[in-house]
Amino acid sequence: MKKYKKTILVFLLTLFISSSVFSAEVAEDPIERKMLDIAEKLRCTVCQNQPVAESRSELATDMKDLITEKLKQGRSEQEIIQYFVDRYGDYVLLEPPQSGNGALLWIMPPMLLLLAVLAAVLMMKSRREKLAFTPPPTLSDADKERIRLAREDDSGKK
Amino acid sequence: MGKAWWAIVPVLVILFGLLSYGLTSNPKHIPSPLIGKQFPIIEGKDLNGNSVTLGVIDGKPTVVNVWASWCAACRTEHNVLIRGARRYGNNISLVAINYKDELANAKRWLNQLGDPYQWSFHDLSGRAGLELGVYGVPETFFVNKQGIIVEKISAPLTDAQFAAGVELMNK
Repeated sequence: MKKYKKTILVFLLTLFISSSVFSAEVAEDPIERKMLDIAEKLRCTVCQNQPVAESRSELATDMKDLITEKLKQGRSEQEIIQYFVDRYGDYVLLEPPQSGNGALLWIMPPMLLLLAVLAAVLMMKSRREKLAFTPPPTLSDADKERIRLAREDDSGKK
Repeated sequence: MGKAWWAIVPVLVILFGLLSYGLTSNPKHIPSPLIGKQFPIIEGKDLNGNSVTLGVIDGKPTVVNVWASWCAACRTEHNVLIRGARRYGNNISLVAINYKDELANAKRWLNQLGDPYQWSFHDLSGRAGLELGVYGVPETFFVNKQGIIVEKISAPLTDAQFAAGVELMNK
């Protein structure tokens, strides 16, 4: 019996390892996947900054059920999101819309960056100008004439 | 400090202005996109099992109040509705949506506190609530004779809000 102990152990071990092969394959429900995709874009209106997909609140659960139902009816993602926007407003979108008031939110950061860069360039320019040596003033014709006269005058005295 | 620095002041003022506006406004207050829209016609059953249809009731301006027996704020609001029904009852219709509630609890609640409603639509699934953009109880819709939602209050109603809502409905 002792002879077979090892064999039996290995047999049991392989059985254990291969057990996953016999288990039912977990199929992903495409409607569920799509539902979660949509729920990820919607704000759970009672929990502020959480997407419906992640919330376990009752309202979020109801919303998920409704999304699933509408998907089964063949509604598109856009139609379903619009359904919620019509009833809960743009607020229900986790990503603000890129038109209307929402556009301001999207435009402002790059605008501010541009403004900051512009300010920095202007400042550096003015500083460089301040530091630069002032070029020696050039003599006007009138000055040169005065010098010539002065020299002549001087040489005349000698 | 050069002159260029001063250009930043209006930008900062605007930014801080927006920030302070955002911080002081109530994040729970969500303006309803439904104001100015047609109140949807929703069919269902009332608490006694009779068929009812949400919308304009009896051709009068209609107040639709969303409540539930599990909602504590609804309890404080209830007296406002009872007073409102007494004051304006002849000129308006007052109906309710009983939101995600057990029938027995809802009925007991009305027996104890009084029933100012013509009927309460029993919305056990919360589907009518979703249709109306309800995200918490209590909420109250003021619907004019033409079926247009003229006001929606997403908080316990006050007497003043009730009066203002009635005025808006009659406009």
